[in-house]
Amino acid sequence: MNAPLLEIRKLSKAFGRVITANNIDLSLEEGVLTSIIGPNGAGKSTLINMLSGSLPVDSGQILFQGVDITRLPIYHRVRMGLCRSFQVVNVFPDLTVFDNVQIPVLAVHRRARRLFRPVMREIDVRKEVGRVLERVGLAAEAQTVASALSHGDQRLLEVGIALAARPRLLFLDEPTAGMNPVERAKILQNIKGLSAEGKTTFVIVEHDMDVVFSLSERVIVLHHGEVIGDGTTQEIQNNPRVREVYLGEEVAA
Amino acid sequence: MNRAWTYIAIAIVLAGLVAIGLFAGRFVVYLSMRVLILSIFALGYNLLLGRTGLLSFGHAAFYAGGAYGLGLLSIHVTTNPLLGIIAGVALACIMALIIGFFCVRHTEIYFAMLTLAFGMMVFSLIWNLRDVTGGDDGLVGIARAPISLGIATIPISKTSHYYFFVLFCFLLTVVLVYLIRRSPFGLILSGIRENDRRVEFAGLSVKNYRLAAFAISGSFAGLAGALGALLESYTNPFSAHWSHSAEPILVSLIGGIQTFAGPIVGSVIFIGLREVIERFTQNWMLWFGLILLAIIMGLRGGVVGGVAQLFGRERGEASASGGAR
Repeated sequence: MNAPLLEIRKLSKAFGRVITANNIDLSLEEGVLTSIIGPNGAGKSTLINMLSGSLPVDSGQILFQGVDITRLPIYHRVRMGLCRSFQVVNVFPDLTVFDNVQIPVLAVHRRARRLFRPVMREIDVRKEVGRVLERVGLAAEAQTVASALSHGDQRLLEVGIALAARPRLLFLDEPTAGMNPVERAKILQNIKGLSAEGKTTFVIVEHDMDVVFSLSERVIVLHHGEVIGDGTTQEIQNNPRVREVYLGEEVAA
Repeated sequence: MNRAWTYIAIAIVLAGLVAIGLFAGRFVVYLSMRVLILSIFALGYNLLLGRTGLLSFGHAAFYAGGAYGLGLLSIHVTTNPLLGIIAGVALACIMALIIGFFCVRHTEIYFAMLTLAFGMMVFSLIWNLRDVTGGDDGLVGIARAPISLGIATIPISKTSHYYFFVLFCFLLTVVLVYLIRRSPFGLILSGIRENDRRVEFAGLSVKNYRLAAFAISGSFAGLAGALGALLESYTNPFSAHWSHSAEPILVSLIGGIQTFAGPIVGSVIFIGLREVIERFTQNWMLWFGLILLAIIMGLRGGVVGGVAQLFGRERGEASASGGAR
């Protein structure tokens, strides 16, 4: 009865002669924590960039909740509920942690256009910012300038900003990159908890196999712009093609 | 503690400004008006430069829009200065919306060059449309008729009277810009300066917000232009010249682009220094350039930013929220 949350039809993209997406057909279901993996240059980032709107597609279609979003601008997709976080820290460095999260919350509440009213008086917005900071564990750092946070906390803030846009579907691009084990455990716990709440469907792009296999309900493997494996963690670990191109490589390295 | 000092400082400045209008000689009053008008220009401009992080080299076009809007209305239709100012600001705003529509698609150097190109186009249009704008003669004889408010009329033909009208417009600008800076909209503009891509991923159209900031700063430029035309009873094409666009940039840099009061302090220094230097030498630009060099290299964050640091106010307050929260 319901259209899948996100449906990708025959999506293709090439940079010159390098094909980074070759007729990809995929659909993502609501509430299923999915990981996208693949060796370097498999086309993971390209796929995310096309889905979130940073990169135009060559051909194919992207449907979000049944609506064609292939050519919509980024901010439009975000408003519909499709958001992403970034692999490199991508926050507002000179603003406080609170203001960092406040920007997307203002957008969600449609208060961003208010010109003459002090932002301090947007009580609903402030409360929601507080809740988001609570959820990602940064409430104590609310008044810290973002650039003064530790790397791990900046990554948490990164996720917080993405979550504050109230996405239905959220792509996390290597959420644990450059984190120490403690921070990593903290953020994975967070993602699990948030996913269980069911408001947001998470799709994680990862390099780290431990992360992938400990979290995901479904794993998609990309290689040279093609889907070569798609299933539960168990199925993927036993898939001969995947073992050959991906896990085999890792063993060899 | 800090708060109290801020109020005291504001009270002293206000008293000083009123005292100038009441007691100072004509020349000082005239110079003060030029400072106030340049402040209006720069306060609006700094919403774009300091807040949104966009460097425009074309804002003199909007200043001229305000001046010619008021001048043409005053010569052909009505001399009512309030209507003239409204017409000037409206013309500047429309020009900013049209020019901005093309410019905000680009950032950084491309944005700056586009604004420069449009500014030069406006200048040559004014220069060449002799029948409408008077060409290089400009518009002469813009009257400073009394402001009629239905019940009462306020005469502004005398310099000291007009001063209070300019002061009123200046205070209005200060309040509006202050409110905008601490509004949700102002926070979004900061976000665009810090990381425009991320604002897009917050679900906001960066282009539209840039355009809004552009139009708002253009409108304040128009207000400054209209007041300037009334002050001189005259306007000429050079008000649209790109070298005039540099004034709000210099003034903001001198005062500090990340501070609220920066453009105002910068205007005082700019016009004050120019008057002083011009008494001693013809090439005031040389000396002014040297002073500017010293300020930019020696005082990070301009005069206001530097003084604030000297008094040990935390950096976050001075930069993120404009030092005046």
